[in-house]
Order: sequence, then structure tokens, then C-alpha cells
Amino acid sequence: METSYETIVIGGGVVGNGIAFHLSERYKEGVLVLDKKYPMSGTSGSTQAWVWVHNKTPSWYAEFNMYSAELYPYLSKKIGDVEYKRTGGLSPFFNESDREKAKQLAESYRKIGIKIKVLSREKVLEKEPFMNPEVAGATYSSIDGNVNPFRLIDMYMRASKKNGVHYSTYNKVTEIQKQDGKYIVVSDQATYVCKNLILAGGTWSRELGEMLGIKIPVNQLRGQILVSEPLKPFLNFTISGLRQANNGEVLMGYSMEQAGFNRATTLDVIQETANMAVRYVPALGKAKIVRAFSGIRAMPEDGFPILGKVPGFENLYVAATHSGVTLSPLIGTLITELILDGETSIPIDRYSLSRFG
Amino acid sequence: METDVLIIGGGPAGLAAAIETATRGLDVTIVDESSSLGGQLCQQTQLIRPLPSVYQPMRGFELAKVLTEQINDFTVGTLLNHRVIGLYADGSVGLSDEEKVFPVKAKKIVVATGAAEQAVAFPKWTLPGIITIGAAQTLVNRDFVMPGKEAVIVGSSDFALDVASQLLEVGVEVKGIVEKNPAAAAREKEKTDALIGRGIPFYFNSFIKEARGNGQVEEIDIEVNGEILTVSADVVCIDGGRSPILDSFYQLGCSFGYQKELGGWIPQYNRQFKTDRENVFLAGNAAGISQQGALLLTGMIAGISICEDLQTIRSGEAEEIRDALWEELKLSEYKDVWEGRTKHIEKFSSPVLKDQFIS
Amino acid sequence: MDKTTIICRCEEISYEEVEEVIEHGGRTFDDVKRLTRCGMGPCQAKICTGLVANIIHEHTALPLSEIPLQRMRMPLSPIKLEILATNSTAFSAVKSVLDEVEIEDGKVR
Repeated sequence: METSYETIVIGGGVVGNGIAFHLSERYKEGVLVLDKKYPMSGTSGSTQAWVWVHNKTPSWYAEFNMYSAELYPYLSKKIGDVEYKRTGGLSPFFNESDREKAKQLAESYRKIGIKIKVLSREKVLEKEPFMNPEVAGATYSSIDGNVNPFRLIDMYMRASKKNGVHYSTYNKVTEIQKQDGKYIVVSDQATYVCKNLILAGGTWSRELGEMLGIKIPVNQLRGQILVSEPLKPFLNFTISGLRQANNGEVLMGYSMEQAGFNRATTLDVIQETANMAVRYVPALGKAKIVRAFSGIRAMPEDGFPILGKVPGFENLYVAATHSGVTLSPLIGTLITELILDGETSIPIDRYSLSRFG
Repeated sequence: METDVLIIGGGPAGLAAAIETATRGLDVTIVDESSSLGGQLCQQTQLIRPLPSVYQPMRGFELAKVLTEQINDFTVGTLLNHRVIGLYADGSVGLSDEEKVFPVKAKKIVVATGAAEQAVAFPKWTLPGIITIGAAQTLVNRDFVMPGKEAVIVGSSDFALDVASQLLEVGVEVKGIVEKNPAAAAREKEKTDALIGRGIPFYFNSFIKEARGNGQVEEIDIEVNGEILTVSADVVCIDGGRSPILDSFYQLGCSFGYQKELGGWIPQYNRQFKTDRENVFLAGNAAGISQQGALLLTGMIAGISICEDLQTIRSGEAEEIRDALWEELKLSEYKDVWEGRTKHIEKFSSPVLKDQFIS
Repeated sequence: MDKTTIICRCEEISYEEVEEVIEHGGRTFDDVKRLTRCGMGPCQAKICTGLVANIIHEHTALPLSEIPLQRMRMPLSPIKLEILATNSTAFSAVKSVLDEVEIEDGKVR
């Protein structure tokens, strides 16, 4: 078994896979992806997988998300059909008082090139006829959409393998050492040596960092999602809170709870979510819910991605963030540039781990 | 709503637990998806034995009636046509009556959800007419519907042979019994002999190679010692064995072990039939696949243990009753099942699967 | 077994599709589920889990006791959304996206 690699990526989620794939496009040196279980067993396999820009704040962060969303059509061409759909995103509001906030959002984003419209009640119902007629309005952006997260990771892995990337699954990293300018990565199955090491451990980033004495301040934030039986296509947009998948299932939910690594679902939040969904789209009331799942967001302490070189450690990189699905193609591109070119095409200093002091 | 004891599943084990707890002064609620109590007993026309010493041997549906009558004398709430949907954060169980979902807060929970039949896959096994052996029994004995005219039975457990006889009684032609092993799986040899006596062919070392039919099974290929035998049939009854139904335990956060003799994955529990979750008990096939009499005993043990926990019976007395019930359990189930159960209980503090929600 | 034999009848997943996941390193029912949708249909894996466990066992020689149970989910059986939506009026954990937009001096922060 090969144990010496140019680059090791720890974490086979959507972030780690995005990096591995983009690296493999330019660089045929040995790349290994290590996963403690199997890709998709963590956050990347338990998401609604919106590719979402339009009301992320502040504006510089929305802009960052927009760049990534723009990469999706190209990504599909490179790795194959990942069921990416740029449906446009609709965020309904039910109180007239929210219209002012929506207008301020639209105005602020117009300046950075993200087009957001504030729709009237009539316009919302024209675009999305099954929306609750009690809706007051909605913000709308054409850049939002969604993707099939399982297809996305499957296709990333297939393309990466084709380009020579190795994967080792059910292989948990237990120890990392820096020695003679190299990283020694000890795992359940073997001990590896590499020059470049990328920490893409998602919710487990803090634990990975500790192996090198680095503080990566990532916390956990649970979300619970309901899935309906397949319904005939009737929702046109990615609505903030629910979307219809290609096979007709509707995924619904937008909840946040601090529950550490506990991935249980609770009837309390399931019922709240059901309530939200029938309020948005009353016709969903007759649909059967076949399952609920929960996923744990990797939430950096200040809410923004942690990306780039780890200060004080040569050839050590970190990529830890929520919204991994939206940001994956951009993060993959930028980390690849950082490793191969030493600089990135758009600045990422703002996202450096150094901001936490 | 609130209750002392919530029993999930109104089959024989759930009813036995209800009798033990209700007769000792506890407020008991039974929830069951179906419209009557008794569970699988309701369609069982075969004689059930051995039964715990307090009962005479009787047919399944008669036993269901006897058990139901016993709880009618006490304050037992029965939520029929209700099903468990899930669990609230505070530990309350969420039930639905198909109009709403509501929480039930219970001091103790008994999960007696029974067993599910396992599938056997072969080409075109999804054709209509290919059903489980249990479904065949339900059709004949509960719904009074003939499942077909010509049946092939796959599997030769005691239960499969009981149902084969019941099919014959209502005039279904049983074209054969297909068994992958060199001998019948049924423990009661007289069941095999009776069917052979009636001229029913047994195909040993055999399996279904393929089913065929246009919108409905019409014929099957049986591979017998390497040769293909084509048999026409409009119903194929599959006995793939049974395994405990675990969904409720999983949501309650119980740990699991694996014990082949008890049906595979099974909640971890101790001599009190208590799981490793405080206040969650279990009984019946959900605690390991066994015979009807044994299922009743497990329900009785769980019931006694709950009474002890809630102090409606002295500990010493509970221990005495429990010991006696365990003695009887040993005599009521097959030796390998009993040994599997004993092994399983010894592993109480070392489950194979725990903390299933922690990632 | 014949490669085209259906293993998950709800989603019509064949033996061959399950086998491919195992060949790519999948070791659990849930690995198979995420890559193929096996077990994601209306019955929520109530029929196919044993079949998949046996296929994993045949291909990897892992004992059945080391092939973990699939993740089981609420609702324990399918239920209409409007029935599920009862008994809940508060929104403590469920958010609206617009609620998260922070405005400062009439501008997005």
C-alpha cells in the first residue's frame, strides 16, 4: 500500500472532495483523501443542498457565494450531471413590515452586482402559484438553485479517481505530527507521509486542529429536514425553507439548534417544520412525509468560512465552513491555486484562521 | 396525556405486560395500529403450546380473546388505530390518531412491537402473487380471502408448515415446499410428516431460480440439486424468517446487540427486560423471536419489573416472581433461543451498537 | 444471484447497483442508500435492509454483527404533513431566511 503522498486531504465531504477534484485537474502528483467513515456520512449527505446566494450577509460574503454559484454550470460539464438546477431563489415574507428590510437588502446588493427583486404578492403568486395566498411578498434572485448532494459527491469522487486521486475510507485519522518539513498522518489503517496537508474535517475541524495544537473554532449547529413522498412537479423555485427534488420529493426545513454532535431528530422540531411548510405551501398538507433527517452544520465561531494557509505551519491548509455545497467549487479552485500558484485569483485573507488571534 | 405505563403494541407480549401492571394498580395505556387487540394471535387458528401455567393450551385467536378480557376488568386505556410517530425532546412519545400528533408522557414504556418478516430476493420476486407466509395467513384467516389456487411455499419453519396446512384446509392446492437446506426447518417433526402424508412434495437443497408471469406470478423455476423444475403457481408464500421491529427502540436511543438465535439485531436488555435507557422496557418478539408462550412470559417479566420500579410490589416479591417466570421461560422456548437470550443478557453492558445519534 | 434482481422494490435498485457501492468501499446499508437511493422510498428500508446486509456480508466477509443497523428515522411510518403540523404553534428552532439579514443604518451590514 502506498503511504507517501504529495498531498493528503483529511475529510471526504463536499469541501474535501471539491479540493481533491480541483487539485487533480491540474496536478497529477499523489493525492489521497482520507475519510473516517464514508463520504456523505456526515454533513454533506444530510442537507437540502441549496446553492444559495441571495440573502447571505454581509454583502462581501454574498459576493463570495455568488462566485461559487457561477462555477456550478462549468463543474457539471467537467464531472458530469449533478442535477444542478439554477431555479432562482424565492424568500417569501408574510408581514408587510418585512418589505422595507427586503428593499434595503436589494438596494445594498445591487451595488455589488447581485440582482435581487422585491416581488409583490401578485408577482409571487404568479411565479409560484402554490404559495400561500396570504404571502405579503418575497425577495427573488435568479442565481440561486440547488443540486443533488449525493450525485455531487459521487461525481466528484468518480472524476477525482479517474484523475488518479486515491481514497481511503473507514480510516480515521488519530494523530498528526510535523517532522522534517513533512506531515506524518497516523490513521486506523496506516501511517502516511505528505508534503501538503489539507484539513477539511467539517464538523470535526476543531478536533483535527487539536492534533497539531491549532485552534480551529468550529462549532456544531443542527438542522432538521423533512422529506415528502414523490409528488408531481409543482414547485418552480428554490424557496428558502423548501425545494422540490428531481424525483418529485419535497425537502423542507430551516431549523437551527445547538446540540453538539447529536444527530437525532425531535418531534418538536419536526412538527414546527411541518407547520412552516404548510404555511408556505398549503397544498403540501396532503403530501405524506416519509422521513426526517438531521444534519450538523460546521459553524465557525463568527459564522464565516475558515480558508487558506494555517499561520505558522508551512504547507498546511484549512477549509472549514457551513454552506459547503454552495461554496465547494470555489473553495476547491482557490485552495488548488494557493497550493500550486502560491496565490489566489480572488483574495481570501478575510477568511484566514488568523482572524481569531 | 399522561400515564404510568405506555405499552407500544397490543399483541400477546404487550397484553401480558398490561395484565401484570394493571392488576397491581398502575395506570396503563396500550397503543396499537390495528383496530383490535391481540396482534398476530387474531389470525392464528393453530393450537398454541406450551403456554404459561396460568393458561390452558388454546388456539391463537382464543388466546387473544382471553388476554383481552383480562385487561377489560382494569383501568387500561386502549388507543387502537393509533400509531407511534416518534419521540419528543423531553422523552414523550408522539402518537397519531390520523387527525393530529400528540405527546404521551409515561413513567415507564414497554416496547412490544413484535417482528417483521424478512424478504427473499430472486428474479421477479416483486411480481404480484408473491407474498410473505404471514400475509398468506392473514388473508386466509382474518380476511377470509383465498390468496390463490395453486401455492408454492418457500421455507419450512413450523410457522410455514402451519400455514401450508391452513391453506390446504381452505382448498388451496399446495404444489410444493421449497427448502434450501437438506431437511425441513420445522422443529415439530409431525408437521412435516402430516404434509408428506397428504402427498405434498418437499424440495430440499432447493431454491427459486426465477419467477415468471404477466402482471402476476404464473410459474416458477425451482432449482433442485442443480436441475430446474418448472411449477405453475398463482401464489408463492415466502418464509424468510422474522426479525425484531426496532424503530421505536432506535428513536428511544436504546443500544443494540446482535444475536443470531434471537433474530439478528436486538435491543440490549437485562434480566428485568429493561433496556439501557432508563424507563424503557421491552417484551415479546421485539426482545428476540421465540414461541407464543415464551412471548407471554417476557411480557409478564417486564410487567413485574415495572411494578417493582414503581413500588407497587416489594422488591423481594418481585424477584421471586421473576425467578419463577424465568424458570418457566427456560422450559417454554427452544434451547438455542434460550441460550442466545442468556448470552445476550450477559452482554448487557457491552452493546455492539450504542449512541446511534452521535456522529 | 442474478445481477438484475431487484433488491429495493420501492426505488427499483438492482443487485448490481448495490454491488458497485461495495466495490467502491461502502460497508454499511447507509453507504449503499446514499449512493443508490436503496431504502429511500415509501417503505423506508423496511424490506431491503436484510437483503443488503447479506450482499455486504457475501462481498466483504464481514460478519453480519459488524454490518451496522441502518439509521432509522421518524416518522416511524409515513404521515400526512397536515397531521404532523398539529400541536405546534411556536417557531423556536425554525427560522426564516430574511430574519437572518442584519440591517444597520438602513443598509445590509
